[in-house]
Amino acid sequence: MIRFENVSFGYSEKRPILKDISFHIAKGDFVALIGANGAGKSTISRLTNGLLHPTGGRVYLGGKDTLKTPSSTLARGCGFLFQNPDRQICENTVKDEVAFSMKAQGWTEDRIKERTEQVLETFKLDPEWFPFSRSRGERQRIALAGVIACEPELLILDEPTTGLDYLECIRIMDYVTRLNEEKGVTALMVSHDMELVQSYAKSVIVLNHGEILGQGHTKEMMKNVDVLKKARVLPAQIPELALRFGDEFKDVFTIEEMLDALRGRVGKGGAL
Amino acid sequence: MNLLNYVPGDSFLHRLNPVTKLAAAFMYGIAAILCENVFAEALFIVVMILISATAGLFKRAVLLTGNLMILGLIMFVIQLLFVRDGSPLLVIGGVVLFTTGGLKSALLLSLRVIAAMLPLMLLFAITRMNDLCNALVKRLHLPYRYAFIVTTAFRFVPIFATEFHDIQDAQKARGVDFDTRNIFRKLGLIAPLCVPLLVSSLKKVDVSAMSAEMRGFELRGYKSGYKEYPFAARDMVTVLVLVVLIVATVVLKTIPK
Repeated sequence: MIRFENVSFGYSEKRPILKDISFHIAKGDFVALIGANGAGKSTISRLTNGLLHPTGGRVYLGGKDTLKTPSSTLARGCGFLFQNPDRQICENTVKDEVAFSMKAQGWTEDRIKERTEQVLETFKLDPEWFPFSRSRGERQRIALAGVIACEPELLILDEPTTGLDYLECIRIMDYVTRLNEEKGVTALMVSHDMELVQSYAKSVIVLNHGEILGQGHTKEMMKNVDVLKKARVLPAQIPELALRFGDEFKDVFTIEEMLDALRGRVGKGGAL
Repeated sequence: MNLLNYVPGDSFLHRLNPVTKLAAAFMYGIAAILCENVFAEALFIVVMILISATAGLFKRAVLLTGNLMILGLIMFVIQLLFVRDGSPLLVIGGVVLFTTGGLKSALLLSLRVIAAMLPLMLLFAITRMNDLCNALVKRLHLPYRYAFIVTTAFRFVPIFATEFHDIQDAQKARGVDFDTRNIFRKLGLIAPLCVPLLVSSLKKVDVSAMSAEMRGFELRGYKSGYKEYPFAARDMVTVLVLVVLIVATVVLKTIPK
């Protein structure tokens, strides 16, 4: 689905943002890009859909070279949810906002109407709301509805839950997970929130100063404290606690698993 | 690359007093506006690009000129279609489309817009807005409140330019075809971007005003500062050269052809 081949990027030669990185994301995967500020996470997300072009190497999205394909063409099949919904929202009603991308991509009027109603129902949005006067969480939901409406095969989420309350965050992430699991939509998420990454991502790419420090399954990477520390990322709390308890807890990632493991140890007469 | 951000440096232009830089940018623009010769207007642009090169800003000046050309092109088309002086240049089916006067006026005005705006745009690259604000207060004794308003307005220009770029990216990601070479279609696509830009601008201004009030902006009396902004010989020379430029432009205008 996404292929980076020896990709470099920078606004000047003196300060490269990405240094010769290569990776591949398969269709149907749910990948999280993690790393400290300035590691190059958002740059990768923008290189993926052709908003930025590599200064070295090649980026392929669905087999298309992003250097040779206009971003408007790449946008068909690739949805991008920005951290700040206010950059995306530009219509005066929620129904027009949801229909915006479909109109831009040349859908027929009938299809737009049908799909808009469907999406508004799914996201529990009032079609006549004025988007700019809604809460931050609702605006993010409106923005996601606009992205999802076009039925993308790839969904790029650039810190999608920043500034959202817990319920709104869960609501958005659960919807993305459903799309990933039920419809096979590939998801690429940029996030600082390790609890979120651990709960939703299937695999993780760890970045530091424009280089890939590690890549693998989420559970595997969450236990790699050395790599996380080198990338200046705070590990999720349960896996970190499990690591401190020793090898017996190496497969523990959730609160439930932790409780079971603790009950097991106490049951065996062991001490904590 | 944001074309309106400050670029640190130690060139002659960078070392000028901020007040001199502001005055010089305006004086150069005034000279360009007073000029009525197409070739001289083009020369104004070339000279400004060369002056920028001395501060390591050649690429930026060329890119800015390119961006200003879009505005120049709009002015060119309007003038060409509506100015009817001179003899007919292009006649189709008995209808005069362009005249020689229209072409001359279109060329002059489009080049004039670029020549007058380029130095003001380059001012952002060589001047920190804090320095400009402090220098206006210390050297011109402008009340701090007004200096703050002026420099805040200037400071917001590159911020809004970045915001506009990000909003455009967001719409590109939704499939809006900004890559089109059709200028009229492009203008039509840009119009809806004004809504999110306006909303975010108003929010930013509101938050900035609150932030200033929370930090006691209203309580300020005399604005003191550690940095001094003395005028040096280079400032005098710069202003003198620009005064001569304006005078020369006026004199050349009055000489009968």
